Amino acid sequence: MPTRIRLLIRMSSENNSATFEKLVQPHFDRLYRLAFRLTGRKAEAEDLFQELLIKAFGKLDDLVMIDEPGAWLSRVMYNLFIDEQRRFARRRMHTVEEGFLPGDGLEGFAGTDNPEQDQRRLEQLQQLDAALAQLSDEHRLVVLLHDTEGYKLEEIHKLMETPVGTVKSRLHRARARLREILTESGTFS
Amino acid sequence: MHTRDTDDFSDERDQEILGLLKDYPMATADAGFYDQALARATHEGSRRQRNRWLMTGFGSAIAAGLVLWMVSGVFLATPDLPQPDASIPGIAMTLEEPRTVNLVFASATPLDSATLTVTLPDGIELAGFPGQREIAWQTSLVEGKNFLPLELIALTPVGGEVLARLEHDDRDRTFRLRIEVS
Repeated sequence: MPTRIRLLIRMSSENNSATFEKLVQPHFDRLYRLAFRLTGRKAEAEDLFQELLIKAFGKLDDLVMIDEPGAWLSRVMYNLFIDEQRRFARRRMHTVEEGFLPGDGLEGFAGTDNPEQDQRRLEQLQQLDAALAQLSDEHRLVVLLHDTEGYKLEEIHKLMETPVGTVKSRLHRARARLREILTESGTFS
Repeated sequence: MHTRDTDDFSDERDQEILGLLKDYPMATADAGFYDQALARATHEGSRRQRNRWLMTGFGSAIAAGLVLWMVSGVFLATPDLPQPDASIPGIAMTLEEPRTVNLVFASATPLDSATLTVTLPDGIELAGFPGQREIAWQTSLVEGKNFLPLELIALTPVGGEVLARLEHDDRDRTFRLRIEVS
């Protein structure tokens, strides 16, 4: 006679949460980094990260069937960011553009034991920060994703839904512009 | 990590810029941020989800037509094996290698005190229940889709059919999953 074991299990929100956590948790660090590169600020990055998770949980039935959840989550995050940028642009139409303040984005600078070297490096990074602020959003994102975060062109193409040729062209122009700005600013003596 | 697939940065100055880009600082998440974000998402997401899930049924609160047998996230409309009976999905398992099957039950309304009974063929076990051929749960279903992962282990190469029977009040529905073991 088979043994019947009667258990009390809530096969509801707890299991949905557990399934969701299992799917998304391996991608958290990469997604956090993407959020920060998109927004440039920790607080905004965390808001974007949170919004992504809420949206993704609402699409759990899609997410469980996807082969590459990391790429899917990145694309959803990117689209959320773009949507927010458009909404923000519409709201800000009649106000003065604040711009991206140099030095604002340098959260997470890690020093060494050599203060003089650290100071020099910090100055260079602040100048890089200011130079990046002068690029368009698309150019800045492409160069950060490729040269800072190590994304391949193909990954950027899938994320931004932009042809590989266009990604490559933007990367080339972004690098050329950075070279120009940093040379003019005397970053490298 | 930083394998380059373009070759713009060729001279020494360019290499310095690339070095700066690689060192461009990054904020880190505070301790507990990820856990908090997950908790908020599942709480907020559950609230929003109820308005979006599709409800189906055929005169019953248990939408049997929407029970999807999913294996490791792959929708079993394209199951692993060709089937003599197309209405019974199947999976392939490797001997003694655990494999998780996600049962998805969609319910048009919340259901308290439903009973789920899983019956296993000889040679297939549910992880955590060694030697048990039939395991039953008292469970509640939320309105919408409910996920239950079952970790199965094949101990012999025989295979067979796993049955999952969901009962509530005087209604019941049985779902079948064919298992082949190699």
